[in-house]
Order: sequence, then structure tokens, then C-alpha cells
Amino acid sequence: MSYFSLKYLIIFLLTIVVVYIFTPKKLRNLLLLLASYALFIKVSKKLVVFLLLSTLSIYFSALLMNKLDLKRNKEIEKVSKEEKKIIKEKYKSKKRIILILTILFNVAFLFYFKYLNFFKEIINIIFSSDLKILKIIAPMGISFYTLRALSYVIDVYNEKEEAERNIIKIMLYLSFFPIILEGPIASYADVKNEFDKKSSVTYHNFCFGCQRILYGLFKKLVIADRLNQFVKIIFKSYMNYSGSTIFLGAIFYTILLYMEFSGTMDVVNGSAEIFGIKLPENFRQPFFSKNISEFWSRWHITLGLWFKNYIFYPVSLSKPVKKLSTFLRNKVSVRFSSLTMGAIALFAVWTLNGLWHGAGFTYMLFGYYHFILILLGNIFEPLIIKTCDKLKISRNTKIYKFLQIIKTSILVFIGELIFRAKNLTVAFGMLKRIFLNFNITNTNFSIGLDIKDYIVLVFALIIVLVISILKEKNMNVREELSKKHIVIRWIIYYALIIGIIIFGAYGPGYAPVEPIYADF
Amino acid sequence: MKNIMNNVFKSIIFMFILLVLLGILSYVLLTNKENVKKYGINVVSNNEILSEEKNTIDVIAIGDSLIYSSISPMILWKNYGFTSFDCASAAQVISDTYKELKYGVETQKPKVVIMEADVLFRNPKKVPWYYKFTKIENYLSLFHHHNNWKKYLFSFINTNSNFTKENIFKGFKYINKTKPGTNFNYMHANTKKYVISDENAEYFEKIVDLCNENDIKLLLVSFPNMRRWTYSKSEEASELAKKYNIEFIDFNKNQDLLNIDWKTESRDGGGHLNYSGAIKATNFIGEYIKKYGILKDHRNDKKYNNWNEAYKYYIESLK
Repeated sequence: MSYFSLKYLIIFLLTIVVVYIFTPKKLRNLLLLLASYALFIKVSKKLVVFLLLSTLSIYFSALLMNKLDLKRNKEIEKVSKEEKKIIKEKYKSKKRIILILTILFNVAFLFYFKYLNFFKEIINIIFSSDLKILKIIAPMGISFYTLRALSYVIDVYNEKEEAERNIIKIMLYLSFFPIILEGPIASYADVKNEFDKKSSVTYHNFCFGCQRILYGLFKKLVIADRLNQFVKIIFKSYMNYSGSTIFLGAIFYTILLYMEFSGTMDVVNGSAEIFGIKLPENFRQPFFSKNISEFWSRWHITLGLWFKNYIFYPVSLSKPVKKLSTFLRNKVSVRFSSLTMGAIALFAVWTLNGLWHGAGFTYMLFGYYHFILILLGNIFEPLIIKTCDKLKISRNTKIYKFLQIIKTSILVFIGELIFRAKNLTVAFGMLKRIFLNFNITNTNFSIGLDIKDYIVLVFALIIVLVISILKEKNMNVREELSKKHIVIRWIIYYALIIGIIIFGAYGPGYAPVEPIYADF
Repeated sequence: MKNIMNNVFKSIIFMFILLVLLGILSYVLLTNKENVKKYGINVVSNNEILSEEKNTIDVIAIGDSLIYSSISPMILWKNYGFTSFDCASAAQVISDTYKELKYGVETQKPKVVIMEADVLFRNPKKVPWYYKFTKIENYLSLFHHHNNWKKYLFSFINTNSNFTKENIFKGFKYINKTKPGTNFNYMHANTKKYVISDENAEYFEKIVDLCNENDIKLLLVSFPNMRRWTYSKSEEASELAKKYNIEFIDFNKNQDLLNIDWKTESRDGGGHLNYSGAIKATNFIGEYIKKYGILKDHRNDKKYNNWNEAYKYYIESLK
């Protein structure tokens, strides 16, 4: 299923909006839940059982942990400080068992549906065995809802979040139809108040939601699907093209990926906005990043935050890492100790980040590529600062920042090339041609695109760039637009709608980009 | 309340202006403006034959959804070098089938016409409700022809090709779903008697006359359809074909001709073939009409280069 399909936008979403308008306030969440489950069952059929099992597991384990917290609080009321510590430890270990069992329960499903075959492949390679690779169809959005489920139970365990007693809200949190397929990986804290509001479909919400959906459609249909004409050929038969053409393919793929994924997020956030539900943002102008770390704090933000909160911090604060850190601080240096601590946590983050994106060696390489870049960035940062100071190069000039953005973008293009390549052989083959066969005069621009396509692409990208610059300057573009005279607003809307219909790369002869992140 | 009414009014005005704009642009971006006069009869896709270069189509296939589900002109091109076009629409009535052919022969000189026999039995007064809605598409054809902007915008730029990909399927509808058919005894299970109405017979005669006038070989075909076709229909159609001395290929009565695997080659439980079934049917028809010896293989003819280009995109579209 695609959020860009007419089936979703015209039939599904519009029907739910109409029914929602006439639904009493107290039943609105129930309606959204029914709609979400209907969509899930339509796509994944019987596999809905796994979504239900995940939901029930986190719902009951959170309640159980909450019950233990209350019991513990009662017990420690009238005891000494020493006894308090012992009681706290006792309850913590009980809670830990519940947490670990819940995590294992949910991760087991994820492992079975997404990683079992990959695991078998690795065993077959190492032991030359012949384990059968099964054809497994995963429940829709399992990677996304599992991370949301885990974040909820971990937050309840850490007492950052109260256990939710209303099962409808927990069911909706995991299954809410705009976020089920491609996120954002919102924490429960992000959405619980939004669900509580049970807002009406107001004219303002409806218009703002539709605007956002339109912008997403524009990015996907006019830019991403058009670039796909070029990208799919390059990645399929890279051997026929020069290094510079392959590099152009990597640039186009990165733009395509951004337009497809951020466009999907526009449709997702716009859909939720119609119902007055504000979801966290997943992108913040990532191509204005000056280094890879910054890039990942602007690209797929909710995934980055998840890894930061639930992998990076727990690993860096774990007992063995802390011990090692103390040892290194005493024996080597404070800087070496903090670098090592960071490296261990980063290694865990990027191993899992790569694997989360897909069960394949290219995804693992994609993860480690970013791990190495960030680690090198951390190691050489002081050296770069020193060198710049010595050479009297100001790091605050626009040119310096621009060059940093270019450097980061080039590194991202290479990373995305690895990400898109069919396998490691193809990835290395493409990289080899880029580095050994790069000839800018031998760049082939006319693969699947003609000059008129390029004119449309340039116009469309300028529009996205201008909007991104305005957003970077903290301007709320949509609010500003809503202040304009109705004639100006309508002209812009008509231009956008007609622009999408005429210049969209859809219909016979075009192969639309499949929902890329839906497979993760 | 006043505010709500105000917003509803604004929304209606917004949609109205949008529809008008889409209607105007639909007209502006039509390749062949002449089509407009002829629209209002049927869906846009079949009238696209009018946008094909004059006298380049050798085979026209007319009828209902069984045509656009069973004959892929691009496969006929690839395997035989014949240029063909499916002028078909869902639940078509025979009067429209006749009109389709009439428009077809205005700009083309086909040598063979393939007609699906199902239309002989459709009562023009009992047309399904959705048939009327297909006409809406005529006024909003922009969605179909949107890529024509390449012909009109930036016309000073020569791209060496006016290929717009708008009609690479040549009327065929690619649907590759699989829903097995189970009504294996359909040719005998349904004992209902079917009769070709006088009105339909009259239109059939008009089609025969039109073909004769234009020196076209007419071939009547009943494509595999276990949901609607019956033994009685086979008998009736066969008799009519005999009356006018027209060849009739009955894939329902002679199931061994195609050996359709109903488990894997139907898209809707036996009502229509899916793509894999269509390949079989198209190749059979290709072999059959090749034997007439009146069709040329245009694959190496430079004049037909656009067909090779269309085939390239056609294959890409199937992925």
C-alpha cells in the first residue's frame, strides 16, 4: 500500500474524515482505531494477530510494572534509607525481568519476520550448510511499530512514562493508520495528549492537512518518480556507464530518497493534521548539515532519537563500558576514554541502524560507513579546529560552511549508493568505477530523462530549496501563506495541484518509486 | 453556523474553479483536438486511436473488457511486427462497438478487425451503472494525457523525439492480479437460453458491412470467460458468424486452443484473463492472423520506430 495512492487518499482517508466529522467526540479514537485495524487487515490479513500480541504484551507488562512501582512506593514509605535501597533493588530486578521478557517477545517476532532468512544465509555461508530460505511476509510496518512498542515499555520501566490504562489508546499508538507503514517512530509521550484532544475536523485543520499532503505529492510525483527513470537504470546496469554518470545516479538517488521519504512524511503528518493530531517531524532540512552527525540529527529524526535514547545512552552508561572508561581515563587520557566510550556506543547504534534498514550486507556496510565517518569526525575535530586557527581560516564564514555542506552531501551520496546497491559486489563495483573511471565530460544525462524533464526538475527543486531555506530561517511557511489574500492563496494551490497533475511522472511508461521505507 | 456555511461555500467555489481549470487544460493538452468532437461517446483510452499516426494501424480490436484484457498490441508488435490497437471499454454495448470501429477506420486503414462476441449479448438498456461514469473521464482527460505538456511547453527545445509515452499500451490494460476461477463446468452448468436481440443483430450487420466496404477481414472471437459465457451464447454466436460467413474463434467451446490454467491465468475468478493469460491469447491470435498473409511485419521499418520505443517503455511499465 502507498500513501500516495488514490485508494488511500480519495477512498480511505476521505471516507474516514467524513465519518469522523459525524462521530461523537468520545468515540473518535475508537473510530480511528477501527480504521487503522481495517487498513492493517486489508494489507496484512491474518498477520494482524502479531500486532495484537505486541500491543497486549506492552499494555499488560506496563501495567504490571506500574503496579510494582506502586507497591514499592508503599513499602518504602516507612523504612530506613538502607532498607529503601534494598527494596528498590528488589523491585527493580522484578521489573527488569518483565522488561526483558517483553523486549524478547517483541524482538522475536521482528527477528522471525525480518532477520531469520538473513541469519540462515550467514550460517549457510559460514558452515556451507543448506538451510532453507523461507518466503516470509512480514506484518505491515513491523519495524516501526516494534520500535514504538519497545520505547513505551522502556519508558514505563524507567518511570518516564505512566502505564496507560486505556487499551484503545495503546492500540491506536501502535496501529494509527498514518504512522503504521513508515513512521514517524513517535514516543508515547509525543502522541498521548494528541489522542486525548479528540479534536474536530476544523476548516483550518482540513486545509492545513491537505496543503501538507499536496506538498508531499509534489515531491513524490514530480521529483522522486521522475528521477526514478534515471536511477533505476543506473543501479541495474552500472557497468554500461562511466564513473561520473554513476555518481550522478548516486546524487539523483539521494534526492529521490529524500523526496520520497519526506514526501511520505508530509502525507502522513498532513493526514494526521486533518484530525487535529500533531505528529513529530522526521526531517529538518538535512542537506544543510555541516557534518554527518548533524545530518543524522536532521534526517529520519525519530529513528535517530530512538537509537540515541534506547541504545546509545544505555550502552554508554552500562557497567562494563563505564568500567572501561574509568580504566582508560586513569591509564591513558580523558579524551581517549570519552572517545572510546562514544565509539562503543556508536558501534552498537550503527550496527543496529544498518540492520534495522534491512537484513542485508549492504545495509550493514551502510551502517558501518556512517559509524566510521562519525568516529573520524570526532577524532579529527580538534585537529581541524587547531589547523584552521593556525592558518587563520575562520570557520564561521559562509564559504567555509558551504564547503562543509558540500563535503557532507558528497559523503551522504556515497552512503546512499551503498544503501541502494543490490549487493556488496554491485556497491563496490559502482564505487570502483566512480573512483577509477570518473570523467566529467563523459557524463550521460539522458538516461530515461530528456532536457524538458531536467527543466521541470530544476524548477521543482528550486521550489523545495526556497521552502527549505525559509524553514531553516524558522519561518512557518504555511502560516505565512495563510495570512495572504485568498486570491493569492488559491492561485498557489491551483498552481500546485495542476503542476502535480501535468508534470507528475505517472501513468504509462513511468515506474513510480515503491514506498522505500515501508520495507524496513 | 454562519462561519461553517461560509467555509462550505468557499470549498464548493474552490472545487468548481478547479474542475473548470482541469477541463480547459484537458482540452489544451489533447494531441488531436478533433477527438473532442468525438468524445462523449466513450472513454478516452479507446479514442486514442485517433491520435495514432494516420494509416499505421493494421489491426483493430473492438469490444468490451475482454478485448483489453486479452489482446496486448505490444506483444503482437514484439512477436509479429503487427501494429494493432484495442478500442474497447468496460461493459461496452454493440452500438458503441460500431461507433468505435467507424472512428477507427476514419484515420486508419486496418486490414483485420477482431471483434469480441460478448457485446452481441449485452442489452443496451441494461448497461451497468458505472458505464455512465466513464464519460466523466472524457472531460478530465488531463490525467491521461498529462505528459503531452512535452509537445507544447518549451517547444523551442528540440528533443529529437515527440514520444510522450501517453499510449504505449495501445488500449490494452495491464492487470496482473491472480484470482483463480473455479466454475470449470461453465459451458454446461448454465442452461439459460441466450438470444441475440434484433437491435444487436442489426448493429452486427452494420459492422460486417463497414468491414466489407473497407476491405477488412473481420474475425469474431469469444475470449475465455467462465463467469459470463455459456454454451447457448456459443451456439448463437456461431450461427451468426456462419450467416455472414465470418470466422469465429470460440476459446470457451474449444478450451484446448489456449489451455488456460484457471488457477494462475485469471485476474478475477474466471471473468477475465490476467497478463499471463493475455500473453497466451495474444500469441494465438497473432499466429492466426499471420496465416491470412495480408499483414506486414513492420519491426524493421523506420517509419514505425515509435513502436519500438513504446515497447521499451511498455516492458519497463510491467516491472
